Amino acid sequence: MSSALLSVREVSKQFLGLLAVDSISLSVRPREIVSIIGPNGAGKTTLFNLLTGQLAPSAGEVRLRGEQINALAPHARAQLGMGRTFQIAKPLIALTALENVMIGAFMRHPALSLARDKAMAVLEKVGLAGVARRRAGDLTLSERRRLEVARALATEPEIMLLDEVMAGLNQSEVGQAIELLQGLHAEGLTFLIIEHNLKVVRAFSERVVVLDRGRLIAEGTADQILSSPAVIKAYLGEGHQ
Amino acid sequence: MNKTEQFSRPGAPPQAALTAAQTGIESGRRALLQYLGAMALVFLPCVLLIDDAHWLNIIAVTYLMGGLAAAWNIIGGFAGQFSLGHGVFFGIGAYVCAKLYLVFGFSPWATMVPAALFAALVAVLISWPTFRLRGPFFAIATLAFNEVAFVIANHFDSITGGPRGLQIPFKAGFSNMIFRERWQYALLMFGFAALVIGVSVVLRRSRLGYYLLAVREDEDSARASGINVLAVKLKGMALSAALTSLGGTLFAMYLRYIDPPTLFTLQDVGVKFALLSLIGGIGTIGGPMLGAALIIPFENFLRAELANALPGLNLAILGLLMVLAALFMKRGVAGAWADLMRRFSRNAGSGR
Repeated sequence: MSSALLSVREVSKQFLGLLAVDSISLSVRPREIVSIIGPNGAGKTTLFNLLTGQLAPSAGEVRLRGEQINALAPHARAQLGMGRTFQIAKPLIALTALENVMIGAFMRHPALSLARDKAMAVLEKVGLAGVARRRAGDLTLSERRRLEVARALATEPEIMLLDEVMAGLNQSEVGQAIELLQGLHAEGLTFLIIEHNLKVVRAFSERVVVLDRGRLIAEGTADQILSSPAVIKAYLGEGHQ
Repeated sequence: MNKTEQFSRPGAPPQAALTAAQTGIESGRRALLQYLGAMALVFLPCVLLIDDAHWLNIIAVTYLMGGLAAAWNIIGGFAGQFSLGHGVFFGIGAYVCAKLYLVFGFSPWATMVPAALFAALVAVLISWPTFRLRGPFFAIATLAFNEVAFVIANHFDSITGGPRGLQIPFKAGFSNMIFRERWQYALLMFGFAALVIGVSVVLRRSRLGYYLLAVREDEDSARASGINVLAVKLKGMALSAALTSLGGTLFAMYLRYIDPPTLFTLQDVGVKFALLSLIGGIGTIGGPMLGAALIIPFENFLRAELANALPGLNLAILGLLMVLAALFMKRGVAGAWADLMRRFSRNAGSGR
C-alpha cells in the first residue's frame, strides 16, 4: 500500500438517502494507467470528486504518496501534483487558448513570461500551438478537450485524473488523443481515467476497475474485465448470455 | 524540450522570448504607455483650452468617477464579483480623512493611505462571509452592507456628524488638498484615474490578474489549476476597496461637505461604479474610464437642460440609454470596439 501514489481506503459518500460511493478501496501505483468503467450513476465521477477534493468523503480516507489528504482543498491537491479534467469541458471561454493554459502554468511559474513560455510549450505538445491566440469559446469540441488536458498538464502534475476526455470525439480524434496520452505516459505520468469507450479502455489502460451502484465489483486487466460475467451483467443486465 | 527553437533567429539568444505576435500578449510597459498616453492626450487639451469653472468641474468629476469605476472593475469586472457595496469603502476614505483633518489638522495626503488600508481590512472582513454567496445573492448582500454603513454613519454623529454631516472650511493649500483653481482639482482627479488605470494594466498582466479572470470564468476549473479561489477573491476585493477609499478621500476634499446621503446613495455611488463599467465595458482596462467619459458629462448636460422643463426627464433618458446599452452592447462600448477590431484583423489576416 505504501508504494501507491494515490489511494482510497473504504471510502464512502452519502448524499441524503443515496450511497453514491460505497466503501471503495483502490490504489494507483506510480506510472500506472488505471481505468474506471461502469454504467451511468455507478459513482465514477463522485469517486473522482472525492479524490480531487471537490467532495469530502462521508467515511474512509484518501491518501496521496501515503499521506492522508481527506481535509485538503482541491487547489492544495493540485499543488501536490494532481491534475484533473472535467466531464463537461470547462474552458475559460473569454480567454485565449494560450491564456487558459497559462492559468495552469502560473501555479509553478509565477512570472508572466515564464508562465507564457511554459504554456506555449504545452500547447505545442498537445498540438494546439496553431490556435494559441484564438478564444477558447471559439474552439471545436476536440480542441476544447485538448485544451482541458493542456491546462492540467501545465500544472506539471504527477498524476492526471481524466473524466471522459474522449466523449464526443470522432474515430480519428480518439486515435490522436490516445497517442497523446501514451506519449505523456512514456514521459512518466500516471493516469486514472473514467472512460465509456471500451476501445480506449482496451488500448490504453493497464488495469481496469468496474463500479456498479457505488461498489467496486471487479478489478483486473482489460481483457479479464471485458469478458467477466459480472461486468457484462452490470452493463447489459440479467438474462444476457 | 526546447520547442521555441524554430522561432529563434540567428543572433537572438537561444531562449528567445516569444513575441507578442505569437502570443497576443503585449509587454506591460507598452500597454502602460498606451493607456496613460491616451488618457493624457485627452486630458491636456481639455484643461489647457477650457477656462470655464462649470466644465472644469465636470472634467474633474468625470476623472474621479472613471477612476472609481475602474477600481470597482477590479473585483466586479476582472473577478466577476458584482459588488454593489463599494459605497462602504468610498465612505471610509471620505470620513476617515475628513475627520482626521478637521480634528487634528492631519494632511489628507498623509492619512489617505492608512485610510485605504483600513478600507481594505473592512473589505476582507465583510467579504469573507459574503463570498460564499454567488451571483445575484452576493450582489444583494453587498447592497445590504451599503445600507448598514448608511445607518451607522447617521447614528454615530460624534464621528461622522450624523445627518448634519462634516463641513470642511475652505483653507487653500497643497497640504490641505484644497485648491483655489478648478484646473488643479481636474489635475488631481486625473492623477487618481491614471493611478487606478495603471494599477489595472499591471494587475491584468500579473498572476493575480489572471487568477481573478479564472475565478470569474469557472471556479471549479480555477481550483483544479491550483488556485485558492477565496484568497484570490479577497485579494482582489482588498485592492479594489483600497483604491475606492482613495477616491473617497479626494471626493471629500473636493466637495468639502460630506453626509450619509452623498456618500451612500446607491444610484450616485455603489451602483454608479458598476453602471459606468457596464456602459464602457466591464472587465476591460479602459472600459470604466470610457463609461465615465460618456455618461458623466451627458448626465450633467441632461440635468442642466431638462430638469427645469420636466423634472425627472433627465433620469428617464439616462435610464433608457442604459437599458439600450444592456440590450445591444453586452460587453459595453469597449467590448463592441474590441469585437469590431477582431473582425477587422481576422478579415485582414485571411486576405493574405
